[in-house]
Amino acid sequence: MLSRPLTLPLALLLAAALVITLFPVFWIVMTAIKPPTDWNAAPAVWLPSEPTLVNFRTLFDPTALKAYGLSGVSQPATPSMLGSILASVVATALSILIGLFAAIGLSRYATMTKATPLMILSGRMFPPAAIAVPFVIIFSVTNVIDTYSGLIAIYVAVTLPFSTWMLKSFIDDLPREIEEAAMLDGRSRLMAHLTVTIPLVRGGLFATTMFIFILNWSEFMFALVLSYTNVTTIPVQLAKYVTATAGTLYGVQAALAVLAMLPLVIGGFMIQSHLARGMTFGAVKR
Amino acid sequence: MTLHAPPEVQRPAVMLPSSPAAAPVHRPAGNLGVARFFAVPGQIVSLTVLVMPLLVALYMSFTDWSPTRGSLFDATFVGFENYAELLVYDTRFLEAVIRTVLISATCLMLEFTLGLGLAVLFLREFRGKAILFSAFLTPMMILPVVVGYTFWMLFQSNGPINQIIALIAGPGAMPEWFRSAPFAVATVIITEVWHWTPLFFLILLSGLNAVPENPVRAAVILGASPRQVFWQVVLPMLKPVIIVAFVIRAMEIIKLFDEVFMLTRGGPGSATETISLYIYKLAFNDFQLAYGAAAAFLVLIGTLVIINLMLLPVRDQLLEARR
Repeated sequence: MLSRPLTLPLALLLAAALVITLFPVFWIVMTAIKPPTDWNAAPAVWLPSEPTLVNFRTLFDPTALKAYGLSGVSQPATPSMLGSILASVVATALSILIGLFAAIGLSRYATMTKATPLMILSGRMFPPAAIAVPFVIIFSVTNVIDTYSGLIAIYVAVTLPFSTWMLKSFIDDLPREIEEAAMLDGRSRLMAHLTVTIPLVRGGLFATTMFIFILNWSEFMFALVLSYTNVTTIPVQLAKYVTATAGTLYGVQAALAVLAMLPLVIGGFMIQSHLARGMTFGAVKR
Repeated sequence: MTLHAPPEVQRPAVMLPSSPAAAPVHRPAGNLGVARFFAVPGQIVSLTVLVMPLLVALYMSFTDWSPTRGSLFDATFVGFENYAELLVYDTRFLEAVIRTVLISATCLMLEFTLGLGLAVLFLREFRGKAILFSAFLTPMMILPVVVGYTFWMLFQSNGPINQIIALIAGPGAMPEWFRSAPFAVATVIITEVWHWTPLFFLILLSGLNAVPENPVRAAVILGASPRQVFWQVVLPMLKPVIIVAFVIRAMEIIKLFDEVFMLTRGGPGSATETISLYIYKLAFNDFQLAYGAAAAFLVLIGTLVIINLMLLPVRDQLLEARR
């Protein structure tokens, strides 16, 4: 449609947009490999005078900055990395498992009223701070505050609308006749779904899994208010570093930020053709 | 194909014309067990982890409870006092609401304009399109906390942005971004727009690529200029996709928290305090949990009204697309 070549002014516009899009990423990656003298130098240093991995080492060994005469950070980031991995992986697996079941139910045995999608969307509108308030109370009473089980339960609940609707949109794309043929072959409904429907949506299942993982890995506020000492995730750890040092340990914070975004950028590009579907609960398919 | 084609025109044609999927589902009694089997786990999770806390919060919002006052069950019932206080006397809350709405509206308009512009550029022919497409999506793959922190670095008084400003306009022109209210608001808006323009770009481009060719050809044959074709043929067909993009983004930006938390913590003063940040401070800094819950319910009601008004023009088409 309207295929015309890119004229020079438009190409320059595109190039400018590209520079603006990538510059912040460039800056945080560069900061992560800058030695302390470059961190907040005036005038700002664009390329590290002497590239170093000391910032990354500091995340695992808080005293690594001693070589530069800095005391380093008070705690390593290792627990937060393990915490992020634990919470995100378990919550994603559960959300996908439950969401897959709900998606098959909704797609093939629709018992929902017309307004259900809008009701589920409404659930996404509630300010997380408000959901967090009763959580903190209930979790204190039931003793799951500051435990990973509590955090995982919330992650599953808040990502369930996404996993359900994204998976449903993939299952809707499959013709029913395939399952019905399996049932005619004598398989039960349940077996037909397990052996026919699920293998056929593999690609969609993978994309949805990555998408839910991205949501869980990025989550900040619930982790912030529900964690005290046992539970911590990378976003919370990053905020803690910034608070504890008034943000002055630029390089170390940038190193943690780079580690935090690495899996998401890789995973995001792997499923980029499905991102629109995920973000719009399946309303936009490509 | 009608001119007001809903988004499902993009659906791959795997659904056979004779497929009963399009027809209302008739369920023989035997299927009910299977349907329940599939639906129950999700329902249990939603009820215990979402609905129950919400009911607790609703009850709480009618009491004067705070953690220092003992058990929630002993709290005094105060009726609509919290709500009245919020709506009549709490100027900080009302300011946060107005501020959040203004920031959201500004961001959405900028994101839409830039995203549409970029998507239209991508309709042109050029080499390396696939890799540029990926590159332009990068911001939306980065976690909000990291985006907030990155822009906090960029806007430092001796950061790269001020360096560029000094280069163009002289050292006297460098603002202290986080010390003045309008500049602090600008940092929030710039950060949000950078982070989420790619989503508009992505959704609008997929919408543009799904625009059927025939009406466009017809318009061209009838002598319409490319500009007319775009504004009078293509854009009206994009309407449902545009509204979906706005609704999705509106739902998220109204909750704006992570980036602001990292950038300004609501400062200077309360110049960048969003609703979420205010409720967070109420509940977790001042421990006014009941009052915070009331604020949250007011916000929820307001959001529901706004989103449903936005959805009104495409409601039926969206529900249709679901099926």
